[in-house]
Amino acid sequence: MDFKEIDHLLELSRIELSSQEKEKIALDLEKILGYVRQLQELGTNDVEPMTGGTLIENICREDKIDEQKINVSKELKESASNLKDDYFKIPPIF
Amino acid sequence: MIKEIHDKLINKEITATELIKGYFKTIDEKDNQIKAFLTLTKDQALEQAEKIDKKIKQGKEINDLEGIPYATKDNMLVKGVKATAGSKILENYTASFDATVIKKLKEQGAILLGKTNMDEFAMGSSTENSAFFTTKNPHDLERVPGGSSGGSAASVASKMSVFALGSDTGGSIRQPAGFCGVVGFKPSYGTVSRYGLIAMASSLDIIGPFAQTVEDAEIIFKNITGKDKMDSTSQDISAVLDKTQNIQNVVFGLPKEYFQEGLDDKIKKTIEKMVEKIKSQGATIKEVSLPSTSYALPCYYIIMPAEVSSNLARFDGIRYSSINDYSDLHDMYFKTRGKGFGAEVRRRIVLGTYVLSSGYYDAYYKKAQQVRRLIAQEFNKVFEEVDFLITPTSPTFPFKIGEKINDPLSMYLSDIFTVGANIAGIPAINLPCGQAGNLPINMQIIGPYLSDFSLLNISKTIENIIS
Repeated sequence: MDFKEIDHLLELSRIELSSQEKEKIALDLEKILGYVRQLQELGTNDVEPMTGGTLIENICREDKIDEQKINVSKELKESASNLKDDYFKIPPIF
Repeated sequence: MIKEIHDKLINKEITATELIKGYFKTIDEKDNQIKAFLTLTKDQALEQAEKIDKKIKQGKEINDLEGIPYATKDNMLVKGVKATAGSKILENYTASFDATVIKKLKEQGAILLGKTNMDEFAMGSSTENSAFFTTKNPHDLERVPGGSSGGSAASVASKMSVFALGSDTGGSIRQPAGFCGVVGFKPSYGTVSRYGLIAMASSLDIIGPFAQTVEDAEIIFKNITGKDKMDSTSQDISAVLDKTQNIQNVVFGLPKEYFQEGLDDKIKKTIEKMVEKIKSQGATIKEVSLPSTSYALPCYYIIMPAEVSSNLARFDGIRYSSINDYSDLHDMYFKTRGKGFGAEVRRRIVLGTYVLSSGYYDAYYKKAQQVRRLIAQEFNKVFEEVDFLITPTSPTFPFKIGEKINDPLSMYLSDIFTVGANIAGIPAINLPCGQAGNLPINMQIIGPYLSDFSLLNISKTIENIIS
């Protein structure tokens, strides 16, 4: 895996690394990918992918407000490190 | 052990306050060496104990778990208490609500002693990936306690808590339970709510107990299992029949792929001896085959990082970050995540991003999901022939601190016998069954999907037979 590819993955992952750390991660990923590639030995042509850990089927819930699901904002705001007038302060986007 | 303490409390042989003070004394004596705890919750614990003592004094009835001291892994939220998940990125985060498991235990009156150390975001097999410190194995301080729930395992093994909660994504309850020589139970996927558990890989994560005995593990499981509206994958299995069986009618399978090269000879011989004991009690033992066993770990190392890369995208530095030196929002994300995450977490995020990226998705992620189904089907099929499987929990004894930290792949191989149960969503338990020197030897019993109560029951019988 070359630096260009690693840089692209780091860009997608939003992670900043030093060049030394990039070298190490490239080496580790090569090894791990080499190991996981053995799955290619298995024939899976007609196998339906298993997309989760549960056999429960999706159902729609009733469209009503659940107090437990909305009443956490006060505590969340209290734990914020940078709050102004009830809004999180973030650096400029542009 | 829980029942004994409960009896002592109601017979007024000991007060809850004395009990809790006793446990904090043990923590004071032992934890500066073992380092199982990240945070202690002493004031709240003593306050709660006082209330329980008042209740007992007034002659009121108390629950089974009321006054029982426990610890929880630091990736479960307790309102008003720090929850770091072993990561620098959450160093300043205080939970704003209780995880469902914590809420349930609180309602039962169990007393939280503190939060335990873990590999960062539950990624690791030794606690060496904790951003704070490494927990030591109570049986040999130069060795790891296993991971990722190493702090919880060590706290129970060194009697710094009666029981503890952990989470298991690929073996993170059973492997440390084995390394520390205690019971560790990974329930079927979905039988315990994940609400308030800091997510690692959501299709694999499950919460479960560490305890001294199977009976204790069963009591805890009964108190934390159930459907929760806050976790749509949770389900109630109380209607699934507990097939309490006479051991004479039980068929145990020994999957031959779990007893091949790579397994330590002493572990192999001890398990074989235990199997003979079980057989002599009238159980049927049958050799079976799970041919895809060796593909479970590579399958896991695609599915898990894929889910990790997506779950951990939420850590953007906006809410709890302490990083101030950035030029714009983009730069803030990069710096927060580059500095806030440790090496293993970064590795898994990048690996997950790779296997999900366009051009590689089909070859890696989709392929792994197909293999996942093959593995699950193989377990289902073998459970048509046998009731439970007996395997080793880990191929080796606890390794030395530092031994595997620079070679991620050799660390991953610690989970080779545990990961299959996560892939298939089925329940499995670690049972200590012997010793070599001062290091514990363990076996794993695996049951069919949702057979949790039967598995716990048969494990109690086996615990009696082998002790």
